[in-house]
Amino acid sequence: MEFFLQQTVNGVTLGSVYALLALGYSMVYGVLKLLNFAHGEVYMFGAFAGYGVLTVLGGASALSVPVWLAIVLMFLAAMATSSAIGVALERFAYRPLREATRIAPLISAIGASFFLQASALLMFTANSRTYDTPQLIEIQTGIALGPIRVWMVRILVIVSAVVLMILLTLWVNRTRLGKAVRAVSFDREAAAMMGIDVDKVIVVVFLIGSALAGIGGVMVGLVFGRIFHLMGFVAGLKAFTAAVVGGIGSIPGAMLGGLLIGLAEAYTTGYISSTFQNVIVFGLLIAVLLVRPSGLLGRPELVKV
Amino acid sequence: MRKGSIRHIVALLLALALVAAACGDDSADTTTATTAAPAATTTTQAADTTTTTEAPMACEATIGFIGPITGPVAFIGEVQNNWFDYAIDSFNAETGYDIQTVIGDNQFDPAQSGTIAAQFLDNSDIVATVGPAGSDQTDAAGAVFEAGDPNFTFISPSSTRIGITDKYNGMFRTVPSDTDQAPLAADFMIGEGAQKVFIVDDQSSYSVALADLVSAALEAGNVAVTRESVSQDVTDFSALVATIDADTDFIYLPWQVAANGQILSNQMVEQGKNAVIVGSDGMDSGDFTTPGSYVAGFAIDIATLPASAEVLAGFLAQYPDTNTFGPPVYVAAQVIYDAIVRVCAAGEVPDRANVQAEVRKTDLAETILGSPVSFKANGDLEVGQFFLFQIQDDGSKTLLP
Repeated sequence: MEFFLQQTVNGVTLGSVYALLALGYSMVYGVLKLLNFAHGEVYMFGAFAGYGVLTVLGGASALSVPVWLAIVLMFLAAMATSSAIGVALERFAYRPLREATRIAPLISAIGASFFLQASALLMFTANSRTYDTPQLIEIQTGIALGPIRVWMVRILVIVSAVVLMILLTLWVNRTRLGKAVRAVSFDREAAAMMGIDVDKVIVVVFLIGSALAGIGGVMVGLVFGRIFHLMGFVAGLKAFTAAVVGGIGSIPGAMLGGLLIGLAEAYTTGYISSTFQNVIVFGLLIAVLLVRPSGLLGRPELVKV
Repeated sequence: MRKGSIRHIVALLLALALVAAACGDDSADTTTATTAAPAATTTTQAADTTTTTEAPMACEATIGFIGPITGPVAFIGEVQNNWFDYAIDSFNAETGYDIQTVIGDNQFDPAQSGTIAAQFLDNSDIVATVGPAGSDQTDAAGAVFEAGDPNFTFISPSSTRIGITDKYNGMFRTVPSDTDQAPLAADFMIGEGAQKVFIVDDQSSYSVALADLVSAALEAGNVAVTRESVSQDVTDFSALVATIDADTDFIYLPWQVAANGQILSNQMVEQGKNAVIVGSDGMDSGDFTTPGSYVAGFAIDIATLPASAEVLAGFLAQYPDTNTFGPPVYVAAQVIYDAIVRVCAAGEVPDRANVQAEVRKTDLAETILGSPVSFKANGDLEVGQFFLFQIQDDGSKTLLP
């Protein structure tokens, strides 16, 4: 029981980060029918932005402000950086290709991903950085969950992710702009005809999705410690998998998919072997696509004949 | 799309690229030519370590260096690069020569290693090279060197994988191989009464080979071994840590990225796992500082060797710090430099073939490493030894007897 509980906590922590990333994928696909393959790099830049703030504040071992304030500032910096990059991507890499063939923006997204990776390499070098979180929050601080103890940082990650997902769901369902986002994702042309500023809605989607990715980057830095310029590639693939498993274009699906992927990784390592982690995760992707192509919570696409 | 829009996009992309490049760190460059000017202030010499050949009037050559100056093990590459520069500067100051250098940053990437090796091969001025550092990177460069010119000498100061020197005619190394490291780790754990050991490799060839050897030695000693494997890109080991049994005595990590070892160690504390970590020489770094853990090293701290004090002092006067990965570079550079000097003393112009012939004749009775250096036919050291250190609370290391 203890082992299962520990792996569940591990999986939920990792899954929370994947869910935040997957939300960005789903939201963008919902409004643009585009897979934003540069999303992983947006997350990576968020992680570095958070690290930059931590460094400016004196580093983990000599912080000049209270820890809670430092973390808030790191989140804000990551959100601002990632949002700016996301909005820039939309404006310069995707919008000009909106009326082009379907493959053009996809190729642009892949190119943008490599461009951002290379830019990060030039700016930050290939050296990895460490948040050194145990200096901020001692590893022994946490809460007891039955037979296991959960580190405060993991609790922060899980709770933050849940709160953000709830806020996003409320925003999408209860606000005027959220309604506009849903309208654009349902039928862009009709939404435009109804007077919705489609360009503005798309920018907002990129802004919010990228901000969530940035927060995810800081969370990864806090929980796992090490950030580097290639970290967005694998995380982006896993988040994309999560979005597809949950139902690409579905916000609840992205959350569910993220958690499922995180748990699949943890349980695979725990009960089979770590070498099978990626086999199981991507095998799950293929299985879901074969059995339910629209994803677990996705809407089957209706085609008029 | 209008042509004007395309132009605007291209212009913006170019501008962004320029900004990114302007903000970039120069150390990310793959090759940088540097001139080893004679040191004006430092003239140091390792005690009884250089040849006594009278330096002739002129002797021109270029020595290359390939190392992970940036990347996940930049702590190795930076120090190695510094020791390389220091060595050539020192030797030029002693001899009055102006042996040139070319630096290649492979970012600890085998693909980059191959690319730099090709560049070095194309540069006819380069007669020999120090590096690369890691075994995979050395393998990649070695394949290129061997195919291009088997007479091209490359001396690795830190590749320990078994058998790698057998593959390449021009490869030598100033460190022992893992045939010495594996028994050291296994014998230590068995000697400490280990009943259960958990071994995790990082899927590099260096790591897997070492893990296989240690695993076999432990099992021969009736120790229960559990094997796992994780990629170097993984930064979350919590699920793996959860699988470690509470009664596991040791975790053996033959890893190249020490920062990952620290993450795993932190997550072990988080989950209340008490097994002691024993790391390979790749973990011997300031990025891994868990007190009570053990790491292997292929050289002892030369600060403890009186004969090396002067060299070390000269180095530290110019560079901020060092680690065990540095001094073998100095010795590798010394081997090549001495070979070049002997070639010139014989009245020849240094080229790859005659420099390699002289490298094979290397017979240094004493080096700053505290041990002699001469090579077997395959390029391995005739005499080599690994050491085991325990990490203390203040991050320092204590050599185990």
